[in-house]
Amino acid sequence: MIKAENLSKQYSITKQRTFKEFLPALLGGHDTVSNFLALSHLNFEIQKGESLGILGKNGSGKSTLLKIIAGVTKPSDGRITVVGKVAPLIELGAGFHPELTGKENVYLNGSILGIKKKHMDKLYNNIVRFAELEEFMDEPVKHYSSGMYMRLAFSVAVAEKPDILLVDEILAVGDIKFQQKCLDRIKEFQMMGSTLILVTHNPDQIGTYCQKALVLDNGKQIYYGEVNEGVEKYKNILS
Amino acid sequence: MDKAKKLLKNIRLFFSYRELLFNLSNREISQRYKQSVLGYAWVILNPLFQLLVLTFVFSTIFKVASFNVPYIIFLIVGLLPWNFFAASLSSAANALVNNSSLVTKIYFPREILVYSTIIAKIVDFLYSCIVLVFFFMFYKVGITYHIVWVIPIFIIQLIFTAGLSLLLASFNLFYRDIQYLLSLIVSLWFYLTPVIYPVEQFPEKYRWIFAINPMSVITNAYRQVVLSGGEPNLKSLGVALLTSLILFIVSFLIFKKNEGEFADYV
Repeated sequence: MIKAENLSKQYSITKQRTFKEFLPALLGGHDTVSNFLALSHLNFEIQKGESLGILGKNGSGKSTLLKIIAGVTKPSDGRITVVGKVAPLIELGAGFHPELTGKENVYLNGSILGIKKKHMDKLYNNIVRFAELEEFMDEPVKHYSSGMYMRLAFSVAVAEKPDILLVDEILAVGDIKFQQKCLDRIKEFQMMGSTLILVTHNPDQIGTYCQKALVLDNGKQIYYGEVNEGVEKYKNILS
Repeated sequence: MDKAKKLLKNIRLFFSYRELLFNLSNREISQRYKQSVLGYAWVILNPLFQLLVLTFVFSTIFKVASFNVPYIIFLIVGLLPWNFFAASLSSAANALVNNSSLVTKIYFPREILVYSTIIAKIVDFLYSCIVLVFFFMFYKVGITYHIVWVIPIFIIQLIFTAGLSLLLASFNLFYRDIQYLLSLIVSLWFYLTPVIYPVEQFPEKYRWIFAINPMSVITNAYRQVVLSGGEPNLKSLGVALLTSLILFIVSFLIFKKNEGEFADYV
């Protein structure tokens, strides 16, 4: 379950990132920070098993919202309540290291996601099979093609059923066949009661996978509710 | 009461991520030498050449006193722990910045990134001790059972290093100048710590510098227990322990307080 009450996020951007710039500004009495409201006063509630699609133009605060749900950054005002284990699927392969082998990276990435080694031993074969990389697991991932890289990262991320799955602009993963496999896996999780939070520019995907839609524009909540109406509102913003 | 509960929760969370700590340390260690031809031999070759050059300069040219052991033995006991200290600080300062892709994506206790770089440096340090063992055998330097004191002294050094590292890592995120400032400070600090010379050669009226420098207390303590075969100065070691603990706790609290903002600045 995810519940946002009056949720806001304000970034204070330090204009001067180095002492060389900072000290003169401080002594000269100039502003050292400028504030930027990335999200303002969001209110929504998603029950367990429901799925939410987030629509909005670039820079409308979608990724910031995902970061808040993932617990990576804190809201500056209001409250967010997240119940359940969150699996972020944002920017796949964030924890991969090019010099390590595929196998080492699977275990490393697993522990970043909080999967214990013993448990990973059981999941490992499934991950490799899902990624279709049986012959390449002992190769350093720097020798992988970008498609192989993404496939492995995705397979680790979806190795275990999460309570809440965060997906940001996915599914440029591999070929169409693999993409379908990923979507099927996501659908499977939804059937088993996972909540999906999907950020996308593609309204059709929202229609297929989500029951609720949240439309953002410049950090403000334009609409929250049924999918069809949400998609309409989103198209209005665009036009 | 509320604070204590929060701290307890933090510690429990940290333990649930202990496997990540080891995996990240392992990554740090293996990535560094995988591409080099001599691989892990560099961990030994580096201090070896450093020792030879410093020994040549300070025992042959400057004739620094080293009491009843060869200068190279005197030097190595202080130099290896110092190298561990300096290497830990410089890698810890970048621990958060270099892992920005993780910091902005997934939640886990961030101090793990700092600790894992330190663990990697501990492994380097232990390997570099092979050089020490070699020279001790070559010069037939005897040791006494007082050598076990090395363990508590090392733990004090570790607490001090970890405290400073947490502070540096979080500040470097907000101001990237810290890493450059750090390399300057560490090189000055090296000369103000009795690594290449004995305390006794330092002018008496400036010796107060050593009293406020925990690294100097630690370096002296290593020499006392390894070379002189006696007990370390317990009083100054106790002060160093207390200073290190306070530094660590304060740094940890500052680190945890800022943790929620790391992803916004990285």
